[in-house]
Order: sequence, then C-alpha cells, then structure tokens
Amino acid sequence: MSWELFWLLVEASGLTIVYSAVSIFFGFLLAAAICGADLSGRAAVARPARLFVSFFRGTPLLIQLLLIYYLLPKIGLNVPSEVAAVIGLSFSTASYQAEILRGGFQSVPRGVVEAADMCGLSARATFRRIRLPIAVRLTLPALTSEAIMILKSSSLISVVGVVELTTMAKDLASSTYQPLPIFASAGFIYLVINLVVAGLGLWAERSARRGHA
Amino acid sequence: MSTVPAIRVRGLVKRFGDVEVLSGIDLDAPRGEVTCLIGPSGSGKSTLLRCIALLEEATDGFIEIDGEPLGFGLGPNGERMRLPQASVRQVRAKIGMVFQQFNLWPHMTALGNVAEALVTVHGMPRAAANAKAMAELDKVGLAARAEHYPSELSGGQQQRVAIARALALEPRIMLFDEPTSSLDPELTGEVLSVMRGLADSGMTMLVVTHEIGFAASVASKIVFLDHGKLLVEGAPGTVFGKPRHPRIEQFLDTYLDRGAAGLL
Amino acid sequence: MTSLLGYLGGEDGRNILSGLVNTCVLWVVGTLLGTVLGFLTAVARRYGPRPIDWLLKACVEVIRGTPFLVQAYLLYFGGPYLCLELGGASACLTLDPFEAGILGLTIYAGAYFSELFRAGFDAIPRGHIEAATTVGLDRWQTLRRIILPEMTMLVLPAMVNMSILLLKETAVLSIISVKELKFQVDIIGNRDYAFVEAFTILALVYWALVELCGRAGRYAEARLSRYRFAHS
Repeated sequence: MSWELFWLLVEASGLTIVYSAVSIFFGFLLAAAICGADLSGRAAVARPARLFVSFFRGTPLLIQLLLIYYLLPKIGLNVPSEVAAVIGLSFSTASYQAEILRGGFQSVPRGVVEAADMCGLSARATFRRIRLPIAVRLTLPALTSEAIMILKSSSLISVVGVVELTTMAKDLASSTYQPLPIFASAGFIYLVINLVVAGLGLWAERSARRGHA
Repeated sequence: MSTVPAIRVRGLVKRFGDVEVLSGIDLDAPRGEVTCLIGPSGSGKSTLLRCIALLEEATDGFIEIDGEPLGFGLGPNGERMRLPQASVRQVRAKIGMVFQQFNLWPHMTALGNVAEALVTVHGMPRAAANAKAMAELDKVGLAARAEHYPSELSGGQQQRVAIARALALEPRIMLFDEPTSSLDPELTGEVLSVMRGLADSGMTMLVVTHEIGFAASVASKIVFLDHGKLLVEGAPGTVFGKPRHPRIEQFLDTYLDRGAAGLL
Repeated sequence: MTSLLGYLGGEDGRNILSGLVNTCVLWVVGTLLGTVLGFLTAVARRYGPRPIDWLLKACVEVIRGTPFLVQAYLLYFGGPYLCLELGGASACLTLDPFEAGILGLTIYAGAYFSELFRAGFDAIPRGHIEAATTVGLDRWQTLRRIILPEMTMLVLPAMVNMSILLLKETAVLSIISVKELKFQVDIIGNRDYAFVEAFTILALVYWALVELCGRAGRYAEARLSRYRFAHS
C-alpha cells in the first residue's frame, strides 16, 4: 500500500473528526436540556425527555441514521446527507450524555448542597457554584468515553453516503483490491485519534482531580 | 431581655412516614452558653438539630431563634403557618452549621470554601472576602493550609475549615452535628480544642456529640434524648451526678470514654 | 395497518422471521462466546506472565479503539488475503458473512467483557480473598467459590448493558450482507420504496428487544441483590 493511499485516509479522517466534534457539541447542548427536563420534576417535560433517551439508547444507531435520512425529506426538509448524519449522531450522543449528566448530578453528595444552604447560597448560586462544577468533574471520564464512542460510531454515516474515513477506506479497498492494509490503516487512524481523545480526557481529569475529596 | 433564649423549641414533632422520630420536644438553649445534646443512636438528636437548621421540616411545633420564629409561625387565627422564604433566610443567617461529614466543597480550596458565601451571598469583593477568610482560617490554625483542597487535608483539618467557613458568616448561634464522629481518635482533639476556644469566646453553641468528656467540661447544659423524647436536662453535674437516671447509666456504660471517667 | 400485516404472510414474512432468528442467534452466540473469551482474557492478563498481559492489553485497546464496522470490513474483505503458508499448502481466512459476523462479534464482545471482568476482579475486597485463604480454601476453590460468585454480582449490570450494546451492533453486520433482521427488512423497504416505514418498524422491534433485555437484567439483579456486600 502506497503512502498516497494512506494520506487519502488521513485526509478523510479530518472529516470524521469534524462530524464527530460537531455532533458531540450539539449533543451536549441537547443533553443538558434533556437532563434539565428530566430532573425538573415536571412530568409534562420529563416524560418526553425520558422517552427520547429510551428510544435513542434502545435502537441501533445505523437504523436511526437511515430513518432520519429518509424521514427528513418526507416532512419537507431537504437537507444534505451530511446534515442528516450529524443530526442522527447528535441525537444519539445526546441520549447517552443526558444519562451521564443525570448520573453526575445525582451523585453530588447531599451534604455539600446542605452546606451551601446553611451558608445562605441561593438555589441558583448553589447550582452554578457547587452542583454544576462537582457534577462536571464526576462525569468527565464518562463523557470522554462517550466522545470516543461517537468517533467510532461516526463510521456508520458512510451508509447514508457521507464521505469520511470509513467511506474512503471502503472505496479505496474495492478500487485497489488491497482491503487488508487499507482497513488496517483506517483502524490504526481511528485508534490514534481515540488515544489522543483519551489522553485529553485524562489531562482534563487530572487538572480537575486536585479539587476532589 | 436575657430571659429570651437563643434557641427556643416548643412541641417539636418530626415524623418520617409512620415513624415518629421526635415526639414533642421542648428545649431552650441559653445565650452565650454551650448546650450539648446527647443520647443513644437513633434517639433523634441529629434530627432535632437538623430541624433547628431547617434542613428538615418539622411535622409540628415551633422554633424561635432570638425570639423570632423560624420556618413556621402563628397565623391570624392561631394556626401553624409556613413563613415566607425571605424571613426564613433572614433568621437562618444567624445560624452556622458544622456537619459530621464536614461537607466541604471538594472543588474549592480551604480559602475558597470560607470565602465563597462572603462573595456570592454578601457581595463582598473577592480580595476582601479572601482577607476575611484568611483571618478565619488563622483562628482555627490553618492559615498555612489555605491553598489546599479538601482532599489534601486530614479529617480534623477539614472539620476546622468547615468551622471557619461557618464562622466567617458571623452567626449568632453555632450548631454542631456530631463534629468528631467521623474522625480518627487522634484527630478529635484538634477539633474539640477549636470548639472549646469558641465556647470561651461566648458563642452560643448547640452540640450533638458522643464526646461525654467534652460535654461534661464545656457545656453549661446537658440535654439527654431517648426515643425521640427529652428524658433529662440540666447542668452536667446534675445529669451525670449520682444518682443517675437508669437510661443515662446505660448510655454512659456504652459511650463513656476513658478521659471522661475522671471528670464525672 | 392491513397492508403492514400483509407483509407478515408469505415470502416476506418468512424472510423477516429468518432475519429475526439470525439476529437473535448472532446476539446470543456473540454474547456467550464473547463472555468466555473475555473471561479467559481477563484471567490470562491477571494470572499470566507479564508479556501476555501486555500483548492482550494491546489487542483489547485496538479492538476498543476502532469502529466495529471497520473490524467487520477487515475480517470479511481482508480475511481472504490473510493466508498462512504451511509447506506447500496455504490456508486463508475466507469467511462467509455470517461466520465473519459471529467471529467479529465474539472478538469485539470479548475485548469489552475482559475489561468488565478485570474491573470485577479488582472490585472484590482483598479481605474476602484473604478470609478464604485463612479458612483453608485453595486457589482454585477461592476462584470458584468466592471470586466468581462475587464478581458475577458486581459485573452483572454492566454485562446486561454490554449485551444490549451487542444486540444493537448486530444491525451493523447487514452492511457486510449478513442476512439478519435489518438486512431482510431493508430489502423489502427498497423493493416497495417504503424506507421510512421499514426503518420505523425496525427501530420499534429493536427498541422492544432492548427493553425486554433491560427488564430481564433488572429482574436478575433484584433476585441476586441479597448477595450484595453487607456494607452497601
């Protein structure tokens, strides 16, 4: 396998990173909203939030992607397949991130919130200064794993015709008849990206760990 | 004037579902003195303290702080009525609380823990808040540890930071909920000596504790709770002196530490 | 709805049913073989020599760090090029889609399960093992009577989650033309130009299977919960 082929894969991996990063970002915003709705205690918003999470965690991403890809034009939204793919990935990761965030908030010890109460902090201040920072620190490892999960899952958007690392590998493999080195290289590139993300996660954890009981 | 106790509790009842944890407690904590709540596990003493801090809402009864009703007051027709949040906040600001589990905020330094409410609640500028926090940490002997996070402090040090955090807000009354119960025996001394110093300075304190020696030597009043009822109250000499109530005898057999034996 | 039921009779119905059966076979066999492989890997890494531990760790990291789809492609398309020359004869890893699917799922599951079991080993308090030693249990008895039962309790919830993840991954195998549920329904959806309907029904079927599995897992957990640690 030539270096040119490898370089084509590396270039395509840039798209993988972009689609994943955008999905993780929008997914996080959506997850925060879902988590807020779930913990709000109001059934009118909590129930749909839980249903959303259950559906997107309970069905294969491949089928979610295809469903969204075919559903959007049917309801009059003619968007490029890249957008459909990012929506699918965002919804999927939002459901997982929402569960992670919920777990984080529920793991904040009751005592530290009571201490904030006794010091006169308002509900707002308690959320912003005490519960949120502690929850984020508690969820950092799980959020890092989720980011890696989405980077890997993004390989599935090749099925709706979006060009990224796996699509490129598949095309090159069938045109050059060298599936072994090409798919191995693709795997290697995914591995490198994920190791970097895992390293970033560890670094973030370590810089937050000093402040942990 | 001096007849108004710092804390007055009347007919306090607390039920969790069907279980009655407190059944009609009357209690006065005199100003400028130390009142110790003792009793076996499950006697309701921590629940009583948490009701006074409004961390638990009493099922019935009244609490007054410096003569002002806390949480619930009397309505126009003499019925028990929930008081507005603003008045709760105002009365509660007079109370400082120290927890068994310290409950320091793990993502803030010792200094940050003490300064936090000064900034976010009282709107003090950060620099002034830090200076005041530093002074409070100095009083509990921890100025040198100001930049340490809770995870880098021993249990005794964490509890002293927690005391500094409460004192920084200049409360009129300090509540202590078993402040030494989760500490190794060799670390209880440093916390108790800070509390002793605080008592000597004239702070009104209500302390739930199993440290009988501390209670006997520092408290002016001992309150013995058993099965949610106030069984005996009075000066340490009266409560611990012979003849004793049989339940107290039994309790002392279980909890008496060697250091206290000589005191009684 | 009548038109939908129409699909369940005749040829289509048979294909969908065989797809569902294949999905379940892939799921169950993949989970079982993956559990065995994962357990052996975890034991080898814990009790085996250092180099084995490192080698297996590298394998696990590679499998956990790459997409399942790429692994499936590599096995299915790359397998035939992976040949072993022995004397004059050569043997290549030529697999039909279903075989590639089972093998891929097993390896993938094995990597994740091995990490679960390792965490399970670590979570058993040393004191429990020391207690077993002091009452005279040997190494094997300790493993069988103390470590395994305790670990089962500890890792069961995570294993249920992992097996749910595997069920969802089986759908990916349709891409290498394994004739499982998604593959079969996809064909009908393509033929009748009913993509949204096909994928909606697929989503609902998987959702139901996942919910069922989750419920069964929670039931099992509840049944076993009295064996949990005294202090928890």
